[in-house]
Amino acid sequence: MTKHIPHESAELHVSGEALYVDDISASPDLLVGRVVYSPHARARIISFDLTEAKQVPGVAAILSARDIPGHNQMGPVVKDEPCLASEEVTFVGQAIFLIAAETDAQCRAAEKKIKISFEPLEPILTLDDAMARNNLLGPPRTMSRGDADSALQKSVHVIEGELRTGAAEHWYLETQSSLSIPGEGEEMMLYSSSQNPSETQALVAEVLGVQKKDVVVEVRRMGGGFGGKETQGNHVACWSALLAHATRRPVKIRLFRDDDMIMTGKRHRFLVRYKVGFDDNGKLEALKVELNSDAGAATDLSFAIMERAMLHCDNAYVVPHMHVVARVWKTNLPSNTAFRGFGGPQAIATMEHIIDRIARTLHRDPAEIRQKNFYGLTNNNVTHYGQRVEENRLHTMFEQLVKSSDYAERRRAIRAFNASNEFFKKGIALTPVKFGISFTTTFLNQAGALVNIYNDGTVLVNHGGTEMGQGLHTKIRQIAARELGVSLDRIRVNATNTSKVPNTSPTAASTGTDVNGMAVRNAIGTLKERIAESISSMFNEEKKSPTTNAVDIRFERDEIFDSKHPARRLAFADAMRMMVMRQVSLSATGYYRTPGIGWDKIKGHGTPFRYFAFGMAVSEVLVDVLTGAVTLLRTDILHDAGDSVNPAIDIGQIEGGYIQGVGWCTTEEIKWDAAGNLMTHSPDTYKIPTSKDIPLDFRVSLLKNATNPNAIHGSKTVAEPPLMLGISTWLAIKDAISAVTDHNVEPEFSLPATNEVVLLSIEKLKCHTATKASPHTIA
Amino acid sequence: MTTKTNTISFVLDGRLVELSFAGSSTLTPTTTVLNFLRSLPHHRGVKEGCAEGDCGACTVALGELGERGEMKYRAFDSCLLFLPMLHGKQLITVENLRAPSGELHPVQRAMVDEHGSQCGFCTPGIMMTLFALYKSGGKPSRMDIADALAGNLCRCTGYRPILDAAEKVCHGDGQDHFVGTEANIAAMLKSISRASISVSTRGQRYDQPSTLEECLALLNEAPGAIVINGASDIALRVTKKFEPLSHIIDCSRIKELEVVRDDGKVLSIGAGIRLTDVMKIVRQDFPALHGMLEVFGAQQIRNTATLGGNIGTASPIGDTLPVVIAYGGSIVLQSSKGKRTVSADSFVTGYRKTERRPEELITAIELPRPSPKSHIHAYKISKRRDLDISTLSGTFRLDLDDAGTISDVLLVYGGMADRTRRATSAEKFLKGQLWSRAVVEEAQRHIDNDFAPISDVRGSAEFRRIAARNLLLKFWFETIDRG
Repeated sequence: MTKHIPHESAELHVSGEALYVDDISASPDLLVGRVVYSPHARARIISFDLTEAKQVPGVAAILSARDIPGHNQMGPVVKDEPCLASEEVTFVGQAIFLIAAETDAQCRAAEKKIKISFEPLEPILTLDDAMARNNLLGPPRTMSRGDADSALQKSVHVIEGELRTGAAEHWYLETQSSLSIPGEGEEMMLYSSSQNPSETQALVAEVLGVQKKDVVVEVRRMGGGFGGKETQGNHVACWSALLAHATRRPVKIRLFRDDDMIMTGKRHRFLVRYKVGFDDNGKLEALKVELNSDAGAATDLSFAIMERAMLHCDNAYVVPHMHVVARVWKTNLPSNTAFRGFGGPQAIATMEHIIDRIARTLHRDPAEIRQKNFYGLTNNNVTHYGQRVEENRLHTMFEQLVKSSDYAERRRAIRAFNASNEFFKKGIALTPVKFGISFTTTFLNQAGALVNIYNDGTVLVNHGGTEMGQGLHTKIRQIAARELGVSLDRIRVNATNTSKVPNTSPTAASTGTDVNGMAVRNAIGTLKERIAESISSMFNEEKKSPTTNAVDIRFERDEIFDSKHPARRLAFADAMRMMVMRQVSLSATGYYRTPGIGWDKIKGHGTPFRYFAFGMAVSEVLVDVLTGAVTLLRTDILHDAGDSVNPAIDIGQIEGGYIQGVGWCTTEEIKWDAAGNLMTHSPDTYKIPTSKDIPLDFRVSLLKNATNPNAIHGSKTVAEPPLMLGISTWLAIKDAISAVTDHNVEPEFSLPATNEVVLLSIEKLKCHTATKASPHTIA
Repeated sequence: MTTKTNTISFVLDGRLVELSFAGSSTLTPTTTVLNFLRSLPHHRGVKEGCAEGDCGACTVALGELGERGEMKYRAFDSCLLFLPMLHGKQLITVENLRAPSGELHPVQRAMVDEHGSQCGFCTPGIMMTLFALYKSGGKPSRMDIADALAGNLCRCTGYRPILDAAEKVCHGDGQDHFVGTEANIAAMLKSISRASISVSTRGQRYDQPSTLEECLALLNEAPGAIVINGASDIALRVTKKFEPLSHIIDCSRIKELEVVRDDGKVLSIGAGIRLTDVMKIVRQDFPALHGMLEVFGAQQIRNTATLGGNIGTASPIGDTLPVVIAYGGSIVLQSSKGKRTVSADSFVTGYRKTERRPEELITAIELPRPSPKSHIHAYKISKRRDLDISTLSGTFRLDLDDAGTISDVLLVYGGMADRTRRATSAEKFLKGQLWSRAVVEEAQRHIDNDFAPISDVRGSAEFRRIAARNLLLKFWFETIDRG
């Protein structure tokens, strides 16, 4: 059986037949919902009057915080996010009122008739401002090993600096959407675009003042998630449910793109300060890092995201003495949230930036400095939080990639090109990623499944994971087919539904296939045991000798047989019909909890991760020195997907993740104005990569002979890690800029490296050269 | 011909559809094709990603009769198409791609086989772009394919498998089930009346005259009406700002606006010619304009936008006006009283203000053929190369005499002021000087004095100043004889 099978919905995708929330045919009673949000970054609500607005024809309901029957709360971890603002608004885009009407135009007409007066208050809109006013969201955290301060004093070389990384918009193609259909009594059925249906269910129950048993959330698929629907898909669900509850009619909300961009959180902006000590060979000796993140107006997942950042400050390198301080700051912007990488990208960009500076300081190739500092295979392989880096593939991958990408020769060619070109410079960078797999909130590492076999021999698999394009259902289908020994066409993976599998974790932290695949396998294991028991007794009832033992029953190629007596066999479908006749239950649940992990959050020590994912990329760019334009010439990626369940899907995830990383590192820039309004609120001004922005030469391969003992069928997740390979592009740009001064001056640099950042950096280098400053000054 | 009122005709699902606005409680003439389709039970494959022509999720194909009666297919953003723009055309959606047998269309098959979809939300739009590309025949290069797809954003795949699918399937013959029904569809389209259309519903009026004369008469009667052709700019007032535009005059069906005249000295390009076609016309002799059009929006936008429209909007960051000025071009304006020609250089009079009088229509853009010795280069600086709007642009024209001194120079900038502006003091300084680096560096200081750019969402004033200076150096570098 080939593993390169297409996405289970591929034919539905290409024919436009795949249903997203907005495509579901609802009854003619359907109402359209609209969210009215704050135009102020911070203000007190003095009064409002909905009388006139409610009289607009077609309007069925307009709700304010007073109309919420349950708790006015939708914070996923900390209860600091009101569902509708009641007394104060804390960011532009915060929901205040909900309107349901027959048409969107009627909603908009009603919105114009709402009277509300505010008393504007002074907002905090930047990290610097939040830090200056000590507006912490919670207490700082630290994580340390050794004695960084005294080690820094002993280091021959010490450099310090800061790095700013930008926010980013998920830009899932399908905006946040939810359809709520009231049932009888307290029942509410939701079709949502959510990565976390169980949490959606919990929050809907909470705002409606009902219980979880009354609320069902179903997710067929999302038109992209990327973390943006891990918690914030809950919001539209709560809003549509409140309107459906109030009107007793189905209500659908699909956010208009600009509203989605204005209302929802982004990737956290970071301001990182660091001080690093190293020896003459570029060996890391000590590192002090101060991580500051912009959480926005509420907690959301900001502390977990910061925790992952703290755990990824090392990226792939041994740092004997390390001290990490992390502070999460509160500002008057939408609450920032999960986004592929979850704090990892900001931390890894920092570490790679540091390595790049060390190399420039020592006039060495950064790849050489990287290799020198990789975690060891047998020693020097414990992270700053105490987890051993096992199955370390960094060295193998480095060797293979340096060779396959022809790194050394291209480095020489680039040097020659740069020496003879004033107005164009090329740059190249190799960066690795080591990414910890598991939720660092340990209890979340669990999954459930419900597998039903029907008496026609077909199988319906339910599990707690959600499909957002990553191919989870395709892989689950493959895993189920392999476990049950049947062909793929017998198996359907059901839409994720909270009434089938309860209390699930979000599909996040790259764990989707790992945990849900195991839960499905466990459910199938239970079924196979039951079936084997019954079939072996059936064979034995025919009084054949020697007897068939249940343990010898095999499930292969749509047949069930006795491996010791292969003539004793049944077609799968026939067997299932018999099982029902023989009163065997063909429905089983499966459960899995990730073993071997344990994490002391207070001490910052332990084994938070089941295993590490590894990837490595070499990117080469051409920079137009006069315009700041960047062309991505070539990218080579080598990624570790273990024994891939589906190489085509994994390569798709790697390429897509990498390009998303390239976007974050280059053209994707979020800007707010001085009043806290999002200026980049549509694709007109927010630029994600197009088909023309991918490398002209793009070579992606999977590491061979790389079985992973820690996940389903020897596989390894792909999901988040490849995003961080985009950092190679960012540092290749820096390498090219740095060529303007023949690598003698550290360029000013931040992330994203837009054409503006590139050009201004080059301009400063030119001025620097003109004034003949000391060659080793660090900007 | 008498004007048809309140009905339009087009082909959908292989059938001739007559759509009456009078009988509808929901449709207006500015209802977009996207919203119309999504209101139908069987056309929800088309998706709204942005409602502004910046993502391509809503891409549909339109089949139109070619000059020889053949069918031509192009991709459009359905969020920017008003319903009357369908009149006389075949609307093809993703639901139409499967063969009647249910078999996937070749472009769909290739996309499945090459793993080109992940979340699938952008996929229907991508299928329609690939369908149009497939039907255009020929064997497009990898670059042509990427160009065709630049108007379709995908957030999942990184595009590589989609490019692979296109490369594999587009091999020239365009064979599919559409071929068999083409004659029938063409006959249906031919049967549709060519008369002018006028739609009036609930306070909105939409005129689609079929002749220039009728159009000018309408303009004379209603000088305040909004004139559109492709409407790629005006449509946003409906789709993003929800403005109820009260009176629209749509000139997209006026054949007189699609005339190309070339007397060897001056090329006159009809103001209503779609930019995709303008590119073919100017490729050979006006490469700077061609180059600028290559980075104008993306294919879906170029399939609808026109030169007249882009110049008429007079945006300070409009892409084509600086180039037309550098070529010494003129704008032809016509009203029912007569015709006049205004130099492109003096056409714009202020922020989004032009020489066009309310009763006038831009009918053509005239481009004098430059001397083979003139250097004309156009540069656009935008955050992203494709499907983006200029932060600034510069189009420069240089004439050198035999001694290598500058006999004439034009430095035209977009995005540096409230309108397209020339760097006049730099031009003045350069005239009569040697085209040398030292002179150029001196001229760069003059450029600084010529402009006081603003900071906005697209870039800071400082960035604009530096880039504006650098573009001149870039022009020098590209024009010096390095033989």
